[in-house]
Amino acid sequence: MALDRLFNVARKEFSDHITSRRFIIILGLLLVISTISIYDGIENYNNSLEAYTEQLRYMEEFDDPYTSWMPQKPSIMYVFISMMSYMTMLGGILAIAIGFDLVSKEKETRSLKSLLSHPVYRDEIINGKALGGIGALGFAMALALAIAIAMLLIFSIVPTAEEFAAILVFGAVSLGFLLAYFAVALTMSTAAKESGNALIYTLVIFFAVSSLLPMFGAMAADAFAGDPPEAPEIPPMPTPVGRSVTATASGGSFVSTSSQEVVYGGTQDPAWREYEEEMQTYIEKRRLISDISNLLSPQMNYYTVAIAVTNPQLSSMIASPYDTATEEPAGLAGALGKVWMNIAALIVFPSAFFAATYVKFMRMDIR
Amino acid sequence: MIRTENLTKVYNGKPAVDGLDLEVGEGEIFGFLGPNGAGKSTTILMLTGMIEPTGGRCFVDGIEVADDPLSVKKIIGYLPEDVGFYGNMTGEQNLDYFARFYGMDAKERKERIAELLELVHLDGVAQKAGEYSRGMKQRLGLAQALINDPKVLFLDEPTANLDPEGVREYRELVMHLAGEGKTIFVSSHILSEVREVCRTVGLLAKGKLAAQGTLEEVARALAPADGDAVRIVVETREHLPAIEDPAIIDIERNGNRAVVRAKDDIRDRLAASLFEQGLHVREMRLEEPEIEDVFMAAYRR
Repeated sequence: MALDRLFNVARKEFSDHITSRRFIIILGLLLVISTISIYDGIENYNNSLEAYTEQLRYMEEFDDPYTSWMPQKPSIMYVFISMMSYMTMLGGILAIAIGFDLVSKEKETRSLKSLLSHPVYRDEIINGKALGGIGALGFAMALALAIAIAMLLIFSIVPTAEEFAAILVFGAVSLGFLLAYFAVALTMSTAAKESGNALIYTLVIFFAVSSLLPMFGAMAADAFAGDPPEAPEIPPMPTPVGRSVTATASGGSFVSTSSQEVVYGGTQDPAWREYEEEMQTYIEKRRLISDISNLLSPQMNYYTVAIAVTNPQLSSMIASPYDTATEEPAGLAGALGKVWMNIAALIVFPSAFFAATYVKFMRMDIR
Repeated sequence: MIRTENLTKVYNGKPAVDGLDLEVGEGEIFGFLGPNGAGKSTTILMLTGMIEPTGGRCFVDGIEVADDPLSVKKIIGYLPEDVGFYGNMTGEQNLDYFARFYGMDAKERKERIAELLELVHLDGVAQKAGEYSRGMKQRLGLAQALINDPKVLFLDEPTANLDPEGVREYRELVMHLAGEGKTIFVSSHILSEVREVCRTVGLLAKGKLAAQGTLEEVARALAPADGDAVRIVVETREHLPAIEDPAIIDIERNGNRAVVRAKDDIRDRLAASLFEQGLHVREMRLEEPEIEDVFMAAYRR
C-alpha cells in the first residue's frame, strides 16, 4: 500500500464530505445544539459554583471549616454532560450520513470501475475512504469542542490542565462513538447494492444496538438472575453502608440513579445478614449479565466512558456500588481505568466492522 | 502486446470466459466481437487487472496481469461500458483525481487535462459530471482512459452512447491514436462499428474464441461448410432457359434470374452457353456470403 495513493483517496473523500450539503446541514445542527447545551451547561456550572462558594462562606462564618463535611467544587466537565445525549443521536446520524453510501454510490454511478482502472489497489481505496470519513468526523468533533472551549473562555471559565486533558479525552471518546456508527454504515454500504438498502440496514443496526440490546440485556439479566431474595419479616435498624446504582439508557437519554436503600449493615440479626449477602450476590449477577450485553452497544459504552470523563465520582459509584472504602475523589485516570472494558469495546466495535468492510470490499464483484 | 493463454473465468460454476487464447500485436486496432453476454467485458476486466482469472494467464506488454496489475494499469487506458464519474465534481476535477494516481505533478496534470478536454470537446464545460449527458460522459470516459498516455487502450462498447457526430469523432480519434502506435482493443457487439476502425477481429461466443484474424479471414473461417461449392448469380435480359453443365449441383430460378450452385467456377462456360443461345447477360458474379450473415450465424451457433 502506497501512502500517496491512500492519501489521494482520503483527501478526495474528506473534501467530498465537508463540502456535501448533507454533512454541512447535520453538522450545522449539531453545532447549534452543542452551543445551546454548552450555554445551559455553563449556566448550571455557574449556579453550582455560586452554591459552592456560598457553602464555603457559610462554613467559615460558623467557624467549622472542613471538619465533618467538605462540599465538592463543581467541575467544568459538567458542562459537557449535556453533549452526551445529542452526540449519541445527532452525532450518530452524522456518522451514518457520511458512511451509508460511501461505496454503494460508487457502485450505482459506476465510478468505482473507472477508479479501479487506474493504478490503485483496492485496500488503498477502502482505507482511504475510511480515513477520509474519520477525518471528517474528527473535524466535526474538533469544531464542536473548539466552540465549547471558546464559550467557556467567553464566560471567563478557564480550564485547568487536567480539565483540558479531560475535554480532549471526552472528544476522543465521542469520536470513538461516532466511528462505531460510521464503521457500521461503511460495512452496509459495501455489502448492499443500493444506497437505500445500505441506509435501512444501518438504521436497523443503529436502533438494535442502541435500544433493543440494552433492553434485551435487562431482560436476560432478569431471566438469569431469577427472583430477588425475600427480605426477613422482622425489620432491622437500617444503617446504610452501600449503594446500589442502576444505569439505564433509552431513546438517546441516559438516566443514572444512585440510591442507598438496598444494602443495610450493622444489624446483628443473622437472617438480615444472610439477606444482605444474597441481595448483593443477586444485584452483582444481574449487573454482570447486563454489563456483558451492554458491551455490544456503542451507546452504553459511550455513556459509561463519557461519565467517567465528565463525572469520575458518579462513574466510580456506578462501577463499585458496594465499595465504601475509598472516600477520596476518583481522578480521571482512575475513573478511566475502571471502565477499561467499555473503552476496549468502543475500539473493538468499529474495528470489527472496518475489518468486515475490508474483507467484503476486497472480494467485491465489480462487473 | 496482448496475449491470453487458456484464460478462464468462472462465475457460480458457469464459465463466462472459457479457455481463451488470444494474441493482439503491437499497434493493432483489434475488434473484439460477440453478442451480449459472450464474455467480452469479463475478458477486458481480466486484461485490465480488475478481476483475477479463475484459470489461465494473460499478459499485456509482457507483464502477467494477475502478478502485477498495478504495472499493467500504468501502461493501459480503459473506457468501461457505461462509464461513471463522481457527479459532484467537474470533468476537470474527475480527471485530476485520476491523474494523481500516476504521480504527475500539478503542472503536468493541468496541461494533460486541458489537452484531453480539448480533444474530446469538453473544454470550457463548467458543469458537474453528474449533469453530463450520456454522450458527454462517454467522451469524458475516453479522456480519462487517455490520462496517462497509455500504450494499450481498452474500449468497451465505445460508441454505445454517442450520437452520429460523436461516433464520427470517435473513429477519427481511434485512427489518430493508432497512428501514434498505440494498441487499441475495441470490444463491441456491433459489427459495422468494428468494421469501420479495426484491422483485425476476434469473435467470442459463449466465452470461447470462435475465430481470429482479419474480417475476411474470420468471415471465411466462419462461413458454413458447403464443400467446394460456389454460388453464381446469373441474370439475363430474356427469360432464362434451362442451363445444363455437369458441374452444376442445383439451380434456384426466379424468372430471368438464377443462383447456380456448382462444384467449381463455371462462369466462362455459362457465359459461352448463354451467348450461343442468343441471350443478353446482364449480370454474372460469384456470390460471397455477407459478413453480417456469417457473424450472425456464428452468434447463433
